[in-house]
Order: sequence, then C-alpha cells, then structure tokens
Amino acid sequence: MSGNLLYRQPILRRPDGVGGALPALTLITLFFVVPVVALLLRSVTEPVPGLQNYAILFGDGTYARVFFNTFLVATVVTAVTVIVAFPVAWMLAIMPPALGSIVFGIIILSMWTNLLTRTYAWMVLLQRTGVINRTLMDIGLISEPLPLINNLTGVTIGMVYIMLPFMILPLVGTLRAIDPMTLRAAALCGASPFDAFRRILLPLSLPGIAAGGLMVFVMSLGYFVTPTLLGGTSNMMLAAMIAQMIQSLLNWGLGSAAAFILLLVTMALYALQLRLVGAKRMTGGI
Amino acid sequence: MKLILTGILAGLLAATAARADEMVFTSWGGTTQEAQTKSWAAPFEASSGIKVLQDGPTDYGKLKAMVEGGSVAWDVVDVEMDFAIKAAKDGLLEPIDFNVVPKADLDPRFTTEHAVGSFYYSFVLAWNKGAVSGEPTGWADMFDLTKFPGKRTFYKWSAPGVIEIALLADGVPADKLYPLDLDRAFKKLDTIKSEIVWWDSGAQSQQLIASGEAAFGQLWNGRVFALEQDGADVGASWKQNMTAADVLVIPKGSKNKASAMKFLATATSAKSQAMFAEASGYAPINTAAKAEMPADVVKSLPDAYVDGQIDLDMNYWAENRAKIAERWYAWQAK
Repeated sequence: MSGNLLYRQPILRRPDGVGGALPALTLITLFFVVPVVALLLRSVTEPVPGLQNYAILFGDGTYARVFFNTFLVATVVTAVTVIVAFPVAWMLAIMPPALGSIVFGIIILSMWTNLLTRTYAWMVLLQRTGVINRTLMDIGLISEPLPLINNLTGVTIGMVYIMLPFMILPLVGTLRAIDPMTLRAAALCGASPFDAFRRILLPLSLPGIAAGGLMVFVMSLGYFVTPTLLGGTSNMMLAAMIAQMIQSLLNWGLGSAAAFILLLVTMALYALQLRLVGAKRMTGGI
Repeated sequence: MKLILTGILAGLLAATAARADEMVFTSWGGTTQEAQTKSWAAPFEASSGIKVLQDGPTDYGKLKAMVEGGSVAWDVVDVEMDFAIKAAKDGLLEPIDFNVVPKADLDPRFTTEHAVGSFYYSFVLAWNKGAVSGEPTGWADMFDLTKFPGKRTFYKWSAPGVIEIALLADGVPADKLYPLDLDRAFKKLDTIKSEIVWWDSGAQSQQLIASGEAAFGQLWNGRVFALEQDGADVGASWKQNMTAADVLVIPKGSKNKASAMKFLATATSAKSQAMFAEASGYAPINTAAKAEMPADVVKSLPDAYVDGQIDLDMNYWAENRAKIAERWYAWQAK
C-alpha cells in the first residue's frame, strides 16, 4: 500500500491549475459558451436561414439610434463614475483601516438594497415635482423644474450611483498598493499637488481605473431597469430593445442578432483593453 | 443542435415543475396575482386537493422556450389576449376542454378555443385633481395643451390603447377605428409628444398621477380604483373607456393538463370571479358574477360603463403586433 503511494510520484508535479479550474470551465462552457453559440445560430436561422436579421439591424435608422444611445450612455456613465469614484477611493486608501472598513461597509450596503427600490427612490427624488426640484424652487434658485428625469441626465445619475461600488473596489486596491512616499518625494522635488496627482498618482492608478472602467462600461452596456425607468423613450438602450424582442414580440432571430452584436463589441473592447493595459496589470489591479 | 439546446434550457426551467398532485399557475405578480391566489387557487386547493404553486412573472419568451423544448413547467398562465390569439396560431397552446370548463356564462368577447378570460379592464382617463384645473371630459382633452396644460402619461410599450386614443381624439368614429390609421395616429401624437411621460408598469402610472408628476393619464381602471381606495385625490372619466383582457391559457405540453382544466373551471366560476373583482377592481369575465358581488363594487367596474365603451380589437392586434411595434418604437425614439 505504502509502496504504491510512493510510486505515485506525479502528485509532486507542479500544479498547473487545469484540474482546479475544471468545474468552473465546465460551468462556463455549459451555461455560457453553448448558449452563445445557440444564440448565434438563432440569429442566422430565424425566421429563415440567412443574414436578414443583421441587415435589418444595420439598415434601420431606429436600431442605429439605439446602438448609438447605448454606447453614449455607457461612455458618459463610465466617465462620470471614474471622476466621482476617484476621490472616494483615495480617501478609503489613506484612511485608518478601522474607519475605512466602516465607510466601505456603507458603500457595499447600497449594493444589497433591491435595485428596483433604489431606482424608484431616484424617480421620487428627480421628477418635476420631486424632492430636488421642490427644494430648489422653494429656496428660489429656479423658477421652473429642472428636467432631471426621462432623459440622459436621469439615466446617468441613476446608473452612476449603482456603478460606483464597482469602480471604487478595484480602484482602492490599486491606490493602496501605491507607496505614499512617492507622493512625498514628488512634493520634496517641488511638484505642486496637482502635478503630483497628474504625473504620479494618476499614472500609477491607471490599472485600477482601467479595470473598474471596463467593468462599469460593460455592465452599463447591458443595463435594463435603470435606463427604462429613469430615461425617456429617446434614450432606449439595446438591452431594453432585446428584452422587448425576446419577451414580448417573440422575434428571437432579431433579438439574438442584436444580443450577438452587443457581445461582439464587448469582447472587442475587452481585447483592446488587454492590449493597451496588459492582462497582468489589469488583473493585478483587482 | 438548436433542439438539444432548447431542450437543456427547458429542462432547467422544468426543474421546478410540479408533481402529479400539484400544478403551477403563472401570472404577473403584485396585487393582481395575490388576488388570484386568494380568490382562485385557495378555493381550488380546498375542493380538489391539488396544490397550486405560484410562479411569475409571465414571460412570453420563457413560455415559447418551454413549449419548443418540450418541457413545460407552467400549467396555467395569465397572458394578454392579443398574445393568446397569436400564440394559439403559432401552436403554443392547448385547446380548452369546454366539457370541463363550463362555457355558458363566460363573456364571449374574451373566450376563444385556446383561452378563457382571466379578467378584463378598461383604460380610463384619470387625473390628479390638484394638478388640473377643470375637469377633462374625454380623450380629446388629453391632446388640448391650451385648455389642459401639463404632462400627460401613456403606456410606454406597443400595445392596444394609445393609438386608438389618438385616433378617437382626432375625430375617428369608434366604429371606424380598425384597421388603424397609423400615420394619422402618430401625427396626432406628435402634437403632444414633448408633454408625454411614459409609464412602464401599473405601479409607475399610479405614482405619476398620485404625485401630480403627470396631470393626467391613460390608466388601467383597477389602478385608479386602488388610488381612490388609498385616498388619493384623483378623478376619472369613463367616456369611451377601452376594454382589453387578460386570458388564461394552458401551454402546449403541460404535464398537468387535467388539473389545469379543472383549475380554469374554478377560476372562471361566478363565485371566484366575483371574489377576484372585489379584491382587484378588475371586471369579471363570468356574466353571472355580478350577482355575487356587493353593489358598490359592481358600480366601480367597467361593466357599469358599457355606454360608449370600446372593445380594443385583439384579433387585429394579434395579426399586426410586430408591424405596429416597429412603427411605435421608431416613432418613440425620434
């Protein structure tokens, strides 16, 4: 028995991770790769074989508009999220750990509240007769309600709020890894605080911004509830259109084609980012 | 390949499928499904010994996937009537066994070979009394920005209702609505487009009107009823109220078809329909139900406003659903 055990030398082989990754790989193949292939097939076989679904999507002004809206919203949301998240992440990174974990907890807590509830809350705040407009009108700052809802502004506010944790988390990781002494050194060498930020802190935190930014951008591309409730009809995004095609109109061919294009674009973006930032730096940032 | 995949998908969906002495009822959730559970499922369980599991919300895509994959987890589904007509044509539904489901008292408007009525409702013109000076008297007032300024709210998705309202407001006689003149309808809607706030769910329509965010709106009568019950300061005009219905269907391949038929018999019975109407504010599809209801409930239902009432043409919509939807979303996105 013992001789047998000794004989099984391969156990000492350097682990290559394949065995451990097998469950996850199987899961991903079964529930992601296979359905994606099925999706692609549907888009070229329904209602009749051919590329007519793609022709419709590319040939129709309405769909082009929806594509444009989707990328516009995702871009604006990502940009605003980065700007809002950065100071928060920096504060978290330099805070005493005990206090930091409390603030962290508060940020995470928002993620545990039901999305629909939070979106309705924004509706109550942002609408023409909502809390914000009422207050501003009462103190005389404005005489007409500001259009904060059913437009791009509403979508951006609602989505940035939801996306913030996804930006802050990777960013804190990157910022914590930056040696504070580098900033002090910059100051000693005569750099102004802004210069230190622009030339030291910002470049060093790029991997975190890239990782968080990509996550936010990709999640925004596929967002459904918030744009539907806080946006207007002219802000319709791809996910809402796909849902409509699949659930209500049962036009699975066209819906699949739209979903497939969205997936392709997302993967292309990811590939581009890997190239620009490098896989190591990106995953290291999380 | 496609078949296998649909099979896997449907198999997963069916993992929740019911045992022999159980069946699954699927509806839209919220207060409507609560009322259906209380008024239909509870008495059915008591009399038949068959347990009714609740699922939802209704999702036409899921229903189609289940039927195509041959693994159906839903036994009775609450759907919109125009969908039911289209789905029956596409072979997604079981025919109703009218030997089990008594047909005599069912409203023929909402009964087909493959569906029995669930409940019916009317689109009415509702307004927030604090936000409107004067009293709107009909759909045309929703298009009169000088007499009735302010935001107005309509149902966002392409469905029977808004197109018809625009045409009526533009002077089309009620009996000449179909086939719908889409060009004319969109032209009329263009005149108030900037003042439209769209509602996406019943809850949202209530929130918009109750808060005065929208001064008026096209609402489901049950939602207005609920607002009134909550003490909101709302008014409603039933002039040219427009009926539409939800119907109950059995997806093709249901594993508990016999139980499902019996369930339909209970759900559409006068007593169950009366209970549901009282709880939800929606109208019964069983014509004998009125006798079972308190007088004040009868008064609040679309049944009490049949004068000038318009039945939205579900056959027309089933036929033209996709075509209208395409125009609708293109117009909205402009």
